[in-house]
Amino acid sequence: MTRLRFLYLLIAVALAVFACSDRAEEEEGDLLLVTTTSVRDTGLLGALLTVFEEQTGIRAQVIAVGSGAALRMGRDGNADVLLTHAPEGEQKLVASGAAVSRTPIMENYFVIAGPPEDPAGVRNASSPADAIRRIADSNAPFASRGDDSGTHRREVALFKEAGLDPDARWSSFLSSGTGMGQTLEIAGEKRAYVLSDIGTFLAFRERIELESLSKPAPSLRNVYSVLRVNPDWLDPERAESAKQFEAFMLALETQRMIADFGRERFGRPLFQPLHL
Amino acid sequence: MDPPSAAMLVEITARTLVVCLTALAISLAVGLPIGIALGRRHFRGRVAAVSLINTGMGAPPVVVGLIVYLALQRNGPFGALSWLYSLEAMVLAQVVIALPLVVGITLAAVGSLDEDWELQVRTLGVPKRWRLWLLVREIRLGLLAAVITALGGILSEVGAVMAVGGNLDGETRVLTTAILMHTQMGQLEDALALGAILLGLMLMLAGLLTVVQQSGRS
Repeated sequence: MTRLRFLYLLIAVALAVFACSDRAEEEEGDLLLVTTTSVRDTGLLGALLTVFEEQTGIRAQVIAVGSGAALRMGRDGNADVLLTHAPEGEQKLVASGAAVSRTPIMENYFVIAGPPEDPAGVRNASSPADAIRRIADSNAPFASRGDDSGTHRREVALFKEAGLDPDARWSSFLSSGTGMGQTLEIAGEKRAYVLSDIGTFLAFRERIELESLSKPAPSLRNVYSVLRVNPDWLDPERAESAKQFEAFMLALETQRMIADFGRERFGRPLFQPLHL
Repeated sequence: MDPPSAAMLVEITARTLVVCLTALAISLAVGLPIGIALGRRHFRGRVAAVSLINTGMGAPPVVVGLIVYLALQRNGPFGALSWLYSLEAMVLAQVVIALPLVVGITLAAVGSLDEDWELQVRTLGVPKRWRLWLLVREIRLGLLAAVITALGGILSEVGAVMAVGGNLDGETRVLTTAILMHTQMGQLEDALALGAILLGLMLMLAGLLTVVQQSGRS
């Protein structure tokens, strides 16, 4: 009797192990998509991927990191496809041969946000670079991402345009080295100016009580592109899945979804599709 | 973004030690008397108090961080302190993590004393003011265990200090948050270098305390 029971137990355990290993394989996904936190945190990616899976049966596994890390993962072959917003780094990745294509999908604007009282006078700035110069000149607190993300790279570009040393640190300059969400929280708490993508900013605006103070300008344009990693590095099935993802992002229906996303929650779209 | 310079490594390491050792000192100063009192006195509500301590010993640091964050944020109950994203906030969160560990282990050490110990001491006619000193001597190995556990817990913790400290460069960046940051930025070599420092630090402190512990045994 005891022996029989032991046998049953053994079978049950074996079955459980099989079931688990099966599931683990399933959860691995068919496509490893590395993207930036802004696309995930706004909820756009989740909405798109549900439709993508319905249409193609491909399950994408998403890793959201800063664009710098995303590009490095692409370079090291630790991704199948990238969705990032750091044009210069992306072009370098394509030039190096690690990525075979860079397809702009959608865009929006960065905003310079700050306390409504606007002590540095950013509202009256003639350009984004002028706004940065005013913040630096008035020694106002500024919360920097400091994490080599696409947004941080844009900060650095604006600093250079403003004629400031990109490593310039005035006494109330903060470098968080964290994601957009936490950097916005820090800016809210310290009543600091901050450069943010519009999507994450709108999602945090009410909590942190900061206002968008900048006007759209070419130097605040923020383009998101899909990059396919060199297919020679990938398993052929994954390379094919990456191609399908790129085609999906360009499809009319997807572009319409992008154009509508955010209207309900934020009263305005967060991204403008580039192929509509 | 440049890799961390030697000066920066020293700065981050020094800050880590200051925060952790301050939190440890506060936790010990508050936790030891509470642990001893809870271990010796029997009063109504003691079971509830001990359960609370045991729960605190297993509290996930990241949840502690979240609660301290909510308490300290500008619109929170203690927002007027302006402590969020400062060293004070990090020490506070670490005290909340370490205090239950110190109280719990002290309590266990006192509880493990021979039941007749108190009686023996009284029978020997030891004056009351010396009894406490004798007690502390008797449980010193348990107290060292409390110190090592608490220090290990807060030195290696990242969730809470990230939430309430914000990893601000030159202000609240400590070893664990810097490691996390460099990992997320894909700068694995830098993350590894900082990790080696943290491990070395833990090894040194644990080694030091173990030597004290072993010499106390003989």
